Amino acid sequence: MYRSMLFIHWKQIRVALIPFVIASFGLPVLTVHWLGSVPDAPQRGMMAYRVMTQSAQWLPLYPLLAGATGITLALSAWNWDHQLGHVYALSLPLARWKYAGLKMGAGAVLALIPAAAFWIGALIASASVTLPAGLHAYPTLLAVRFLAATLVAYAVLFAMAAGTIRTTVWFVSAVVGLLILTALSRGLLASHFTVFQRMSPIEWVLHALASLPGPFHVFSGNWMLIDV
Amino acid sequence: MDKAIELTRLTWRAGKVFSLDEIGLNVPTGSIYGFLGPNGSGKTTTVRLLTGMIKPDSGSIRVLGMEVPGELPSILRRVGYVPERPHVYPAFTAREQLDYHASFFERWDGGWAGKLMTRLGLDPSRRLSRMSKGEIGKLLILLALAQRPDLLLLDEPTDGLDPVVRRDVMSAVLDCVSETGATVFISSHLVHELERICDWVGVMDNGRLLAELPMQQFKNGIKRIRVHGAPELADEAPFTLLSRDRTNGPASMETWIVRGWEEPMRDYFDRVGATLRDVIDLDLEESFVELLRSSRPTHAHEG
Repeated sequence: MYRSMLFIHWKQIRVALIPFVIASFGLPVLTVHWLGSVPDAPQRGMMAYRVMTQSAQWLPLYPLLAGATGITLALSAWNWDHQLGHVYALSLPLARWKYAGLKMGAGAVLALIPAAAFWIGALIASASVTLPAGLHAYPTLLAVRFLAATLVAYAVLFAMAAGTIRTTVWFVSAVVGLLILTALSRGLLASHFTVFQRMSPIEWVLHALASLPGPFHVFSGNWMLIDV
Repeated sequence: MDKAIELTRLTWRAGKVFSLDEIGLNVPTGSIYGFLGPNGSGKTTTVRLLTGMIKPDSGSIRVLGMEVPGELPSILRRVGYVPERPHVYPAFTAREQLDYHASFFERWDGGWAGKLMTRLGLDPSRRLSRMSKGEIGKLLILLALAQRPDLLLLDEPTDGLDPVVRRDVMSAVLDCVSETGATVFISSHLVHELERICDWVGVMDNGRLLAELPMQQFKNGIKRIRVHGAPELADEAPFTLLSRDRTNGPASMETWIVRGWEEPMRDYFDRVGATLRDVIDLDLEESFVELLRSSRPTHAHEG
């Protein structure tokens, strides 16, 4: 059953996955290739500083690529089911949670392909550059982070895409409504109570999600291929 | 009598536009049950309720002795379902679709699926998106039959197919039934198609089940009779008067459509001082049309 699910997911995703596999392989290679043009610095410390700052310029692209890969995997997972009105899936003799679980598991396994491409790219990139003393390459750690970020984006979008359009609209409306309500009430409260001027529930929520142990911390953490 | 399907006071509403109203339906095990009704009468909705795709507002559904939706996976394991519209993955080849489907059904008969594939003239390597409507129709039947189901739920399985494909599909279904003794619940508006194969019939219109009875009884029970000197009221008649038409023929002659007719009922007309002139048999299609006509509200000014 799982093998069938993996096969159908593979049939759906394989074409869309190609650019992500190429990008995942190419991004670390490009980062290091670009470092090759770092001018010689008279002092070691200065050179290490330049390598780090210039490689850091590529940093936002890594989580972006991981997120986009996860989103593509998630959307393609439900694509055919949405097209067929879920009739086929619902006529199969297994509980809905089990069907969704198998589908999710299949997508998670396929996420290993771009992650592996990324890892190979990062290994090649690391091997192709001579780093100044004090700097190290972290291809495996970065690949693990890439996989984790892909899986987080995949999981979130998978859950959202699993619902009907109505469910998604309700969810998005609820979030937007909450944001507006929070902003309005905060403005109202802050004008009467100074303590509320320093408090923002939205910021709290965002902070909780984006910092440890929040699930999105993986996107905002250290994405340096080359670091001290 | 064992029942393969049992609906009790089943109600389902879709806003103010459409509803199923307290449907009570019983499909005997081993029967071929024709579920008749015009387009939009609620046939597909009923089938979707049976498969647990939508939930009823009230009432109960039992399929193969189990509750829907409580025991749905166990039920669907034993049900071969062909929906109204094709539901298979277009990027699959026929072989891939069969393999995918087989992985979910323990009783899948691969050997029989292969034989059916040959018999129905399907190319296993052909992509479903490139198949004709007739080929897809055959494939859907194949998928349902090769599961070796105890119950076949067929929702307009031959709608839009040419006569040759229709015959192939129905003959494959009948072969399966004769071999396995499965119950068949087949919805259609093609009355003549069901007339030949069904032994029970249920008639839906506008979300209501108008009649449910053995096919023979349905066919024989509805008659067109011509009555001379008919009484104003027929409240005490031993049959159900579906309609009466006073416009045809001489002024004192009426044409009645009656349900539940039996020969001894001729005496009734003697008792009320009328004369029964003719008793005319109706075929299933005529019976079906008359039943629908009688169930719908009459509008005095309608053409």
